Amino acid sequence: MIAVKHLHKSFRVHVRQARWIDAVRHLWRRQYRTVEAVKDISFTIETGEIVGFLGPNGAGKTTTMKMLAGLLYPTSGEITVGGFVPFEQKPEFKKMMSLVMGQKSQLIWDIPPMETFLVNKAIYDIDDRTFRRTLEELVELLELQPLLTKPTRSLSLGQRMRCELAAALLHRPAILFLDEPTIGLDVHTQEKVRRFIAEYNREYQTTILLTSHYMGDVTALCDRVMIINHGMLIYDGELSVLTETLAPYKRLEIHFPIVPSVPWDDYGEVVAMEDGKVTLRVPRDKVAEVSAHVLQHFHVHDLTIQDPPMEEVITRAFQEGLHGS
Amino acid sequence: MVRKYIALLRMKYVEMLAYRLATIVWMTGAVVQPLITMIVWMNIRPSQSDAFVFYFMALIFVERMTSAWDVWELDREIRHGTFSTYILRPLHPIHWAIAENIVYKGLFLVVLVPFWAVLALFVPVLRLDVTGTQMLLFLPALVLGMMLRFLFSYTCGLLGFWITKVTAVYSMMEVVSLFLSGRIAPLSMLPPVLQQWSIFLPFRYMIGFPIDILTGAANRADIAFGFLVASVWVMLLIVALCLLWKAGLKKNQAVGG
Repeated sequence: MIAVKHLHKSFRVHVRQARWIDAVRHLWRRQYRTVEAVKDISFTIETGEIVGFLGPNGAGKTTTMKMLAGLLYPTSGEITVGGFVPFEQKPEFKKMMSLVMGQKSQLIWDIPPMETFLVNKAIYDIDDRTFRRTLEELVELLELQPLLTKPTRSLSLGQRMRCELAAALLHRPAILFLDEPTIGLDVHTQEKVRRFIAEYNREYQTTILLTSHYMGDVTALCDRVMIINHGMLIYDGELSVLTETLAPYKRLEIHFPIVPSVPWDDYGEVVAMEDGKVTLRVPRDKVAEVSAHVLQHFHVHDLTIQDPPMEEVITRAFQEGLHGS
Repeated sequence: MVRKYIALLRMKYVEMLAYRLATIVWMTGAVVQPLITMIVWMNIRPSQSDAFVFYFMALIFVERMTSAWDVWELDREIRHGTFSTYILRPLHPIHWAIAENIVYKGLFLVVLVPFWAVLALFVPVLRLDVTGTQMLLFLPALVLGMMLRFLFSYTCGLLGFWITKVTAVYSMMEVVSLFLSGRIAPLSMLPPVLQQWSIFLPFRYMIGFPIDILTGAANRADIAFGFLVASVWVMLLIVALCLLWKAGLKKNQAVGG
């Protein structure tokens, strides 16, 4: 469905120093610097897959996604999405995909979302019956009924995002690009949006590429993740494999009535030491040994063994770097 | 395409209703400057007061009907990145702007024409004393004026892909056009050199030309030549717009998000 080969994108940006003399000099001589936002990325995505696209701010996620949607012109490399070259701006291409940006709204700001839906109905050539059926379904799934007639500007962020998703899905795109769809949403709404995306993908076999800062989105929705950093793809594979190879550690949380003063460093890396609680990072193969020892020698209230949080795993991936599995 | 335009017009109409107050202020506010200019001229040449009243009333009408704000919208949308949401959809963004122009100008028309009619009851000068031919020539000239100002404004707006705050450049052009379009004074009162220039530049055809047809200031040859020059400018601007659009998309940084 999506094939990307040796994709590059560089931007020319002004270099501007903060000193006022530089600002004056800047008036007649501008300095430019070339920023390589995306460096040689290649991947393919099959029909119906949900792929998580991860990376810190400025890693190149959104830039890549915008190239896939035809918004940005690639500096070099090849992209085909659903058999089209996105930048050619063919209407047929635009009718088969949607890009939802958490930070940019396609809803018309000062009038109700329903007006945007009606405009999209006409623009995407959706016939009356299909429109009614699709809208009905989306209204139900996303609980939009009370929102349809309120001006967009008066909706809360979560309400707006739900309408945004509906506007993007009215023409039943085969490919959906979601750029930070849950940004700024509360936990409950995030959960709702996730559930909706998962259901939608199951129902319609929509190919979905999703970027997010929230690990929850990725763990809930994606089996496959791509990690990008400094414009390069540093991991592309299963989420579970990533955790195992990147996190050969487990987290040991031990609760005591009073924390014994022993050199905890001998047991593992101390992550946190609080009142009545010690958190250790212990290599996987030593977990059994360490916990047995602790239970035997100290008076322990409780002991839990956990996989490290996804955030930590990803952070390690960025720091240490790693190459495809 | 008809269905798309109906949907866009409907939406723009609903949007206009949401901006009721702004629309009214915007419409009445634009009347102030020509009125003041008119009073100044009437003071300078009291003997021609009637001619000035007619000229500036026609000016208010033509100026409103041809006004173009697209550069401001494009500048803001490109700078904020919201323009992306239009590029993503399978309809060229210019159609949104055209629909908006039709809706607002439709409103201007239904407000200004009855207003003129009522005013003409009390101010005899305003009673239209024009031949059918004049009217027949005035209308296409007005449409050409609308097209020219719209295309000029939209084309400038597309420069927003390269320049931040392109409206500054546009404002400068507006100052030039203030003189050469006939907004400060009828073109016949400009120095001969400027009159010469104005015949070949697009600005006269945005506002002054239709008025000159109505007042009879332009003779047959002037009118024929005027239509020719205006049409050439429309075509040039369409070509420029297409080229800038193509190049601009490549340059587009789709900022934000």
